Amino acid sequence: MIGIVLDGVVQGLQLALLSVGIVFVYGLGGVLNLAHGQMAVAGGLAVAILLQARWTPLLASAAGVVAAGSVALLLDRTLLRPAYTRRGEERLLLGLILTLGVSFALDGVYALWAPNIALTLRMPTLSIEVLGVRVRTASLAVGALSLVTFVVLLAFLKGTRVGQAIRCVIQNEVGAVLCGVDVERVRTLTVFLSGLLAGMAALAQGYFSFLGPEMGSEFTILAVIVAVVGGVRSLTGTFLASLLLGLVNAGLSYAVGTYLTWIALLAVAVLTLLVRPEGLLAYWP
Amino acid sequence: MLEVQGLWAGYDDVAVVRDVDLEVPPKGATAVLGANGAGKTTLFRAIVGLIRPRGGCMRFDGEPLSGRAPHEVVRRGIVYVPAERELFPQLTVEQHLELGAYCVPGAFRSRRQLAYDLFPRLAERKRQRAGTLSGGEQQMLAIARALMASPRLLLLDEPSTGLAPRLVAELYRLLAALLREGVTILLAEQHVQAALKFCQRVYVLKDGRIAYGGPAEALRGNPELSRTYLGESRGSPDPTVGPP
Repeated sequence: MIGIVLDGVVQGLQLALLSVGIVFVYGLGGVLNLAHGQMAVAGGLAVAILLQARWTPLLASAAGVVAAGSVALLLDRTLLRPAYTRRGEERLLLGLILTLGVSFALDGVYALWAPNIALTLRMPTLSIEVLGVRVRTASLAVGALSLVTFVVLLAFLKGTRVGQAIRCVIQNEVGAVLCGVDVERVRTLTVFLSGLLAGMAALAQGYFSFLGPEMGSEFTILAVIVAVVGGVRSLTGTFLASLLLGLVNAGLSYAVGTYLTWIALLAVAVLTLLVRPEGLLAYWP
Repeated sequence: MLEVQGLWAGYDDVAVVRDVDLEVPPKGATAVLGANGAGKTTLFRAIVGLIRPRGGCMRFDGEPLSGRAPHEVVRRGIVYVPAERELFPQLTVEQHLELGAYCVPGAFRSRRQLAYDLFPRLAERKRQRAGTLSGGEQQMLAIARALMASPRLLLLDEPSTGLAPRLVAELYRLLAALLREGVTILLAEQHVQAALKFCQRVYVLKDGRIAYGGPAEALRGNPELSRTYLGESRGSPDPTVGPP
């Protein structure tokens, strides 16, 4: 039982890494990035390829995270530009279609170039004893990685000038412009940041179990479910929803199997929309 | 200070502001009057770069202004307070002042007290969220936030809209205090009498074109003339006087 809970918490933390990027870009840029999962995969595949080229794991991981960020940056600077010139629903719709196209294109590229590359990182010690339960060190590493990342992210948002700008653009873009905030730069930075976080999520997935080139859409869907449950403008909500869904996922995977678990996760999202359409926490922290 | 020549601006295919010439002299108040939909807001949005002008040229202190991004315009000293106020509902009064000073390093510390001196009501509500303030207080906060950016030219769009007459009078007393601080003001107003009393120079917009531009006294002392230019504002009460 403790094992399942622990597993759920770790999965939840990993889910948080994955989802916070999609929430960020939606809340700030008004674009729901349907290629978010593919960006994560880009990072994971980069790590796998670099490891094959005999880079040290640490260096390869860092490069992979930067690679995922770079894909996001490229998308922001090129394809998303026409979406940014529009506002409200028009931007959302154009963003959806553009990023959906990008997700197909990237899936195709991965299938063509890296069909057999997968990322599994082996930790030196496989499992240790915690609270009387055997826990894989990989789980602990993933949990620690996610937690530290989240704390750093919060400190960045609350404690720095740029973080302050990001928070105020999320609340009111025009208001931020009137204060002299360069919204375009803040947005680009945010998209880059979301790519970095997606890369870290892919890395975590590689540590935890396995990451394949075809997993992009799965990641995106998971992130969207978390965003719906947590509220699309709330970082804390995203964190709580990730933990909740991680626990649901771990518990049900154990009890009823993986396929039914997917249905259950979607059901949680639907239920949230019906009962509390603004998400667990409607607003920023 | 600000010169606008032959400005065309609008949205999609509709030109809202047509061939507008306007000049704002330094150290004083200039008003843009006109009915709803005459193009006052569009003119302001074009000046601060929120929409891209179709034609014409704008200069601020002799330097070209057209085509600049809105955040650059703020840095040059033109700050816009829209009628919608555009506050951050979840942030406190103090956080607004901090954000207002975003592009002027050190301004938050040095100017915060000035803002609170001008708006003592805001000083009492430092920790209150903007979304919970009354309409009048929100207007004060919007102006206070703009002042934090150390503006040389302040653009106020319908600052008195939605305010009780007593508050309108208070607002104009505050604006007079700002003028004494050396801030230049460009004001769009529907309260014609209040604006005529306060401003030295007046432009009247009609269907996006300038119908009158010149000293305010010419309209102030001449109800006939002011009726010609401001047709539908006939008999609009002077809000600074208060209800009878």
